Amino acid sequence: MHPHLSFDQAPPISVPYRFFLVAPWFGVMAGILLAWSGGDALASRWTPEALALTHLIAVGFMLQAMCGALLQFIPVAVGANVWRPKLVANIVQPLLLLATLLLVGGLLFSRPGMFTVAVPLFLLALGGFVVVVALALWRTPATSMSLWALRLAIGGLAITVLLGSLLAEALARGFSVPILELTDVHLAWGLGGWGLMLLAGVSYQVVPMFQLTRPYPPWLTRWFAPLMLLMLLAWSAQIFIDPVRWLPLIALCLLSMLSAYAASTLWLQYTRRRKIHDATSLYFRVAMLSMLAFVVSGAVFLLFPDLGADPRFAVWLGVLAFAGVFVSAISGMMYKIMPFLNWLHLQLLNPPLSAMPNMNRMIPADAMTGQLRLHVLAVVLLLAAVWQPGLTRLAGTAFAVSCAWLGWNLVGAVRRYRTFKDQIRAAALHC
Amino acid sequence: MTTLIDGRGREPPEPMVLTLEALDTLAEGDELLLLLYCQPHPLFSILRNNGYAWNEDVRADGTREIRIRKKPG
Repeated sequence: MHPHLSFDQAPPISVPYRFFLVAPWFGVMAGILLAWSGGDALASRWTPEALALTHLIAVGFMLQAMCGALLQFIPVAVGANVWRPKLVANIVQPLLLLATLLLVGGLLFSRPGMFTVAVPLFLLALGGFVVVVALALWRTPATSMSLWALRLAIGGLAITVLLGSLLAEALARGFSVPILELTDVHLAWGLGGWGLMLLAGVSYQVVPMFQLTRPYPPWLTRWFAPLMLLMLLAWSAQIFIDPVRWLPLIALCLLSMLSAYAASTLWLQYTRRRKIHDATSLYFRVAMLSMLAFVVSGAVFLLFPDLGADPRFAVWLGVLAFAGVFVSAISGMMYKIMPFLNWLHLQLLNPPLSAMPNMNRMIPADAMTGQLRLHVLAVVLLLAAVWQPGLTRLAGTAFAVSCAWLGWNLVGAVRRYRTFKDQIRAAALHC
Repeated sequence: MTTLIDGRGREPPEPMVLTLEALDTLAEGDELLLLLYCQPHPLFSILRNNGYAWNEDVRADGTREIRIRKKPG
């Protein structure tokens, strides 16, 4: 199509795909675990099943997908070159996979000894990942607000991993640390400093680009990341100061920031000139509505502490954050990124115009929207199961099937990429 | 002569495809004006490697005006 033009910034397609293809199957494992456990698995955030489920989603699903997305995103969106992305992916992804299984096994079967193997693997995999990505993000000449959010996100990942490693080592070796406070701070950095910071930084670019909205308001992109950093630092003071009287105030500020980001995204979708209702847009809507539900629930928790005293309330917040916000946003993102990457890498083969497939043929629209509906049903069932334990097995099954369907759709995108690649090569031979 | 491509209401990869097609016929001294809501780093890389110069302005509504020309010689 454009034989004289060279594309040199896209990493090999296998780099993001090896992360993307694995992520949904951790969601399947989480669903199966929940269906198998049933009953009181969601009675509190501290049950072995709840801890294992949290890490299957946070480290298995989210972290796998986010690492793959970041390796792909930063060269394309902020012009930063990652050092040998294929080598990094080949080392980080399997180490991460193994470390996650060991961590989850240790949490589920209450075998802290497994943490002593998992922790060095996490430190090796994610330490290397953080260094390579941070170097790329600091060397790029780009100056966008996305870039600052990504820089802070990679710092948030480093802090999350260090705190998690400290907690795991404390449990494995029995040394004394303030477990409850450290866990709350670890969770805040994982969800806010890494997950949300990355989601926001990526959204500034991909929401206008793929969902055809206006850009995010400059006040939001300028202040969201630094304010989030400040709030998380203040939140972390609880490790050192006891008691911290202003923690509820920090929590309210954090909730206000979440509502600003979620409401802005929904407003941008609502006011766009060209309405598209593809799976990515709908998934983002589900994620942002879940975030607003999290904000309202969190505010109730803070303003009426008696209502929030039930340990199931924290699980309710966890389901909204992990399944409602992050699994939704990540699934929607993968449904847009994979067809686009297929198209981009087929373009690199310089195909004749007649052989170049349309991006919309990479994953059938019906399969994506069908899977999206099942995911929404699974999230609703999970939320209901928090208060009605009899629904736990059904909710787990629905979530497992939904994630398996997501995984199948992504595998289908890879199959179609290979088919189109063969067709293009065959067409080139006949030219 | 200036050719305008308004990529703001178009789904990727359409703005990129239209831009690459327009570059094929861009004469020396002519200009291609691309309007987007984001910074197209992959396009910048292609332009850098293929002998094009560009400059970029941001309007108050967040629209990025990217003006592309062939480098002389």
